[in-house]
Amino acid sequence: MAKTQSTPVEKAARLLDLVPFISTHQGIALSELAEEFNLSENELLSDLNTLWMCGLPGYTPLELIDLEFESGYVSIRNAEVLQRVRLLTKQELVIILLGLDILRSSLDSERTDLQDAISGLTRKIKEIIGNIATASPIVDSTHRAIITQAIGSRMDLIVKYHSAIRDTVTERVITPLELSLDHGFEILNAYCQSAEGFRTFRLDNMRSVELAGSSVSVPEQGEITDYQWQLLIKSRFRTSSERFRSIYKARESTEGEQVSVNSFSQDWLLRNAMSTLASVEVQTPLSARTLIAQKCQQSLELYESWSFPK
Amino acid sequence: MSRKTERLVNLTIALLATKRYITKSEIFRTVDGYEGTDDSKERMFERDKDDLRNLGIEIEVGTFDPLFEDESGYRIKPENYQFQLGEVNAREITLLSLAAEAWRGASMGPSALSALNKLHAIGIESDTELLLDLAPAIIAQDANLTIAISAITSKTVLSFAYLNEDLQPQSRVLEPYAVTSRYGHWYVFGNDLDRKATRLFRLDRISGEFKLQGRSGTYEIPSDLDVNNAFAKSAELSTAILFLRDGRGLNLRSRGLQSASTNAPIGWQEFSVQYRDRERFVEEILWYGNDVIVSGPTDLRAEILSHLKAGVATYG
Repeated sequence: MAKTQSTPVEKAARLLDLVPFISTHQGIALSELAEEFNLSENELLSDLNTLWMCGLPGYTPLELIDLEFESGYVSIRNAEVLQRVRLLTKQELVIILLGLDILRSSLDSERTDLQDAISGLTRKIKEIIGNIATASPIVDSTHRAIITQAIGSRMDLIVKYHSAIRDTVTERVITPLELSLDHGFEILNAYCQSAEGFRTFRLDNMRSVELAGSSVSVPEQGEITDYQWQLLIKSRFRTSSERFRSIYKARESTEGEQVSVNSFSQDWLLRNAMSTLASVEVQTPLSARTLIAQKCQQSLELYESWSFPK
Repeated sequence: MSRKTERLVNLTIALLATKRYITKSEIFRTVDGYEGTDDSKERMFERDKDDLRNLGIEIEVGTFDPLFEDESGYRIKPENYQFQLGEVNAREITLLSLAAEAWRGASMGPSALSALNKLHAIGIESDTELLLDLAPAIIAQDANLTIAISAITSKTVLSFAYLNEDLQPQSRVLEPYAVTSRYGHWYVFGNDLDRKATRLFRLDRISGEFKLQGRSGTYEIPSDLDVNNAFAKSAELSTAILFLRDGRGLNLRSRGLQSASTNAPIGWQEFSVQYRDRERFVEEILWYGNDVIVSGPTDLRAEILSHLKAGVATYG
């Protein structure tokens, strides 16, 4: 709950928002009010004590805002001037606009009532700030909702999953463990009952997600074998680094760059090495070099044995 | 420390309560917290006005009598202070709240929280049945997104270092117009002042932080702005004819069109697939190894072949 201390201006903004909120929630518990504004109870008390000193010029009890919170429940009087809910700042409108975009694309197309309501709100907001923000989500929000529900209630999931590494779509029964982020992509760590092993699934590659039965127990997770390859990037530094998810920064030289990359999937490393044949050389392990040579040879044989239309 | 907070709240109350413009000397005399020499009161007041403006509170300046060059006065019009989306019903409040909640844990957290506080202060209960099957989330850890949004809403020029393909930082000066998320990445779109053309920048390719440059409100954002066009017009479309092995090349299949011809060998299908960025497309084809073969055009096939031969030479 503890956060960095707010500036006097941030605090003033919060006080202006506390007044209308308390006005429509008279008698709210201190703890509940603190939670709504993401404050500790002490921070909230300090806010209320400051607000208590504010009011109309004159600043006698007649003009001051009248707050009562000693009982542990907060009520407010004599604050008519500030009772209006403050306007949304442009920044707040931008984030709402982006949020509405995400919501819209995850709604069932049959919910035209909600689609219409979102379009109406979006139009209102764009009239105020212009068409300055759009978002195209890559994850279906309903999938995320089902996964969250399954983790919370210890249920298994039936997932239709498109594996880019295997270039296949398979249906699996998985026990979801936790949601997290990997290089900006949302992933689900899970135990795959179908493969009898721990697997990581990218949410944006899930074609469908359904609840299955209650989870059975999941075995202890053993050591994860990790493949580590040593690369020499010779050109297309940014694209190649992005492909191998290698963190990059500005560089001075134009020489080749040596980097080490890891993955639990040798197949993923191999496919990336194929993609970057022209710009990256895999130096070690030697077994990786042999695999790449074989891959190249297999493709070449197909090209050489077939005839192509002129 | 909290004197400043008190003074800002008291100034807001005084300017909001008044039906007429009140002068600076009236403010200094009646609003609690303005102390010290005339000069220091002036400075305090100027800073307070700026601070309130940054909170979205517009202070109007006017004179009592338009016929005379009178001392100017100040007020806040209630209609410029209050929630501006008009009457909203329970469903709309729910949707607006869900939209703000999508930012939980993302870089715009504080704005999302204050937006939620305001929406909840309206005092209409959310329609909880609506919430059950949706969990929108925005993934944005990049602090530069917050800076970009604030630059756009205040129309302030941004300068930054952008890493090119060789990872050399190139300094850019941009009038930012819009932010957009695509393919899991955030982009900022705007008018590149050095190159005198609109450009799109991926936020994770920016080295270091955005810097705000100069004053706010120095340019206009085109009213007919369409960010989607910026993605579309980056390069000409080309078409390739590919042979895809049974059940393989799933992404290419979903993007392409299956041909009616019978050129493909047994166990393979012929697809035509469009692309814009040649280098990226070559890399994509190579990703699939011997499950995707280029039939034409000839120069594309030759390029793939030369990469494969070079691969055999390097690794064989």
